Amino acid sequence: MILDRSTAPGFQIPKEISFPTPLIRTLSNGVPIYFIPTPEIDAIKLEISTDAGLADENFDKKLVPSFTLQMVMEGSKTKNAAELDDFFDTYATEVEPLLGFEHQGLSLLTTKKHFNTVLPVFRELLTEAVFPEKELVKRKKQKALSISIHKEQNGHRASSLFRKALFGENHSFGQIAEETDVDLFGREDLEEYYHQKLWTNPEIFLTGNIGEEELNAIFNAFENLPVRLSPQSNSDPFNIPSHKIREEKEKSVQSSIRIGCHMISKTHPDYHHLLIFNTILGGYFGCRLIKNIREDKGYTYGISSSLGGLKTADYWIVMADVIKEYSDKVIEEVYHEIQTLQEVPVPVDEMETVRNYMVGKLLTQFSSSFDLIGRFKSIHQAGLDFSFFQSQLEHILSFNQEDIMAVGKKYFKQGNMVEIIVG
Amino acid sequence: MINYQKFVLDNGLQVLVHEDHGTKIAVLNILYKVGSRNEIKGKTGLAHYFEHLMFGSSKNVPVFDTALEKVGGSCNAFTNTDITNFYITLPAANIETAFWLESDRMLQLNLSEKTIETQRKVVIEEFKQRYLNQPYGDVHHHIRKLAYDTHPYQWPTIGANLEDIINYKREDVEEFYFTHYRPDNAVMVVAGDVTLEQVKHLAEKWFGDIPSGQIPKKTINQELPQASKKTATVQADVPTDALYKVYHMPAKMQDGYLESDLITDIIGFGRSSILEQQLVKNGNIFASIGAYIYGTVDPGLMVFSGKMEKGQTAENAEKALDEVVQAFLESSISNETLTKVKNQAEAMKTYESVQILNRAMSLAYYAHLGDADLYQTEYEKKTQIPADQILDWARNILREENSSVLYYKGT
Repeated sequence: MILDRSTAPGFQIPKEISFPTPLIRTLSNGVPIYFIPTPEIDAIKLEISTDAGLADENFDKKLVPSFTLQMVMEGSKTKNAAELDDFFDTYATEVEPLLGFEHQGLSLLTTKKHFNTVLPVFRELLTEAVFPEKELVKRKKQKALSISIHKEQNGHRASSLFRKALFGENHSFGQIAEETDVDLFGREDLEEYYHQKLWTNPEIFLTGNIGEEELNAIFNAFENLPVRLSPQSNSDPFNIPSHKIREEKEKSVQSSIRIGCHMISKTHPDYHHLLIFNTILGGYFGCRLIKNIREDKGYTYGISSSLGGLKTADYWIVMADVIKEYSDKVIEEVYHEIQTLQEVPVPVDEMETVRNYMVGKLLTQFSSSFDLIGRFKSIHQAGLDFSFFQSQLEHILSFNQEDIMAVGKKYFKQGNMVEIIVG
Repeated sequence: MINYQKFVLDNGLQVLVHEDHGTKIAVLNILYKVGSRNEIKGKTGLAHYFEHLMFGSSKNVPVFDTALEKVGGSCNAFTNTDITNFYITLPAANIETAFWLESDRMLQLNLSEKTIETQRKVVIEEFKQRYLNQPYGDVHHHIRKLAYDTHPYQWPTIGANLEDIINYKREDVEEFYFTHYRPDNAVMVVAGDVTLEQVKHLAEKWFGDIPSGQIPKKTINQELPQASKKTATVQADVPTDALYKVYHMPAKMQDGYLESDLITDIIGFGRSSILEQQLVKNGNIFASIGAYIYGTVDPGLMVFSGKMEKGQTAENAEKALDEVVQAFLESSISNETLTKVKNQAEAMKTYESVQILNRAMSLAYYAHLGDADLYQTEYEKKTQIPADQILDWARNILREENSSVLYYKGT
């Protein structure tokens, strides 16, 4: 029998996805541990994440939080920098600072085999770091250099200018680091931040092949961590009237574009429809912006839109590097695509594609057990739990044409947009 | 260890199946044994450009991505010097759609004028975005050109220059397709919530009637041993000098390859490595430095790359680097260092195998080298190599006359 290739094979879209709930324990100092055991994977990942962010920092010393976390690896009361480096490399362990706008902390990735050896030394980094001057001097020089390189990168520069325009230069999210900022603080500032501010409302997120033995070791290690429990205040960002910045660079062969505005966060009831709107516009390969700007016109290698994922001041952004002469044209097309989605019902066929794509994406995101704790962390830090994803699935399966037009009209106004062109 | 089973279709397509019933998704990964090493001068970048064309339409599929997205799937691909690798992730229940899509574009890609011209523009923008519009972006163009005289590794996968991309003709593209995109030049791995029987049935059904390749591949000019040191200086608008020093080293399946990998692990990988400790943390010339290898099918390069602190020159940096490397060659490697490197190799395997897509790609990559078991056996071999054997190879490779040096200087 000759195969009929002209007919696509049948398919089915899952109507249910299982969203496992993490186990929760609370230490005597009030620190909660959220964990998802994955007995089939011989790695262990532990993240300690705090509410110490950039938000309440002294502007002149804006590099203090990130330097503090990077410097904890440069020497503790029992081991100097070289000894710490050698120790963690010997046990094939990765210790990384978590440097978010809203949360800071440290993450540990190691193997089950070495976990009990590594944990006490990792614990030392949280309270016993000594911030040696020699290592600080070197790190400052490295940082000044990387700031000067970033300035030369159009994409990096455009994102910095976008944040500055969106949040304002008096907001910690809107600051742009300058090379001279490394001269504005010393090791005493790092020590103060480390001892007074860093461990604010810490939470532990844990996954891997964890048995009772490892769990008890974690309890013992972290229940004596001195913590600061303090309620967090939300800032209330607002959109300013349209704001355009163009930074010409004669030698550039492309322009980096950023367009965006403040947006509702995950806790808002309209968020699920907003996410679908964004996906249709610029959130997957089959989206309108890729189809128009890349696959039809060939003006760019990539263009996308996304939601920022901040709890206190979320935003929406379009990013692209485009042919220099077409940067204005691309911006015009972005508004045109938004307007079309606001006014013209999405064709049924495209609705089915995006619906199925989003269900498949969600299924994939929940298919690897080791990644689940990260999904939980992101939603937990937004003040929600896994029922968010159940609700997201229901919205994806049920949204209609009117939902998309309505959310588009409600939240996308050209007069609110910040536009940046660098290059 | 990654468990797998394998079979070969009559047309030469190799198929590997990795069952994992702990997940509800499946991955279909197809590796074509073609990369920029199969290109010729004047037509550089063609392998990567062709990867873009594969996402156009085929006879029964108007738009590849849309057809896949409709069943809840997503896909991507990459090209390097040696291979072009396409991968699909989707709900396991819909795995047959992946077979339909991949077989249709292997059998009868449309190569429409619109796709050819639009993707030409897209790839030109990719070239500009990654290599021309970034500080230090063209470094690998310079290094490869300097280090290789005859082998196609003398240009990066994106292509030697924009002109080559502008000038591809339809005939180039068609010849490339019928030479390289054939079942006997491919390895397919299906992984996830699938069974061997199911994959056998589907592979036979969708790929069984695709004819094998008829056009022989061109022979690849191999590089002769380098006789003397080569240097080049580039002036660019960058904030600080950078130094790149590379040495020719053995190919992936040759003696000395695993030793080369170990040499860079010891000298230049991680915070505790010799270069980081001596030149960065306890020196004033380098802001950063690392060492790594281009692990390639034909003989590759061992690369030392670093950025200078402001005011320091790349020429001075080379002297400092040479001293540290020389001291390493005259030293011995301690048991502690060997244990460290072995621990890292072991842990890396654990971390890498977490994602099912990584497992599928690893199987495809080693199968393309000759045997998927190499994934495990190469690792075991690597962790048993004695210290003196590593140093013997280091002395063989890290010779001045075997080196090429690029001084990338700020203006």
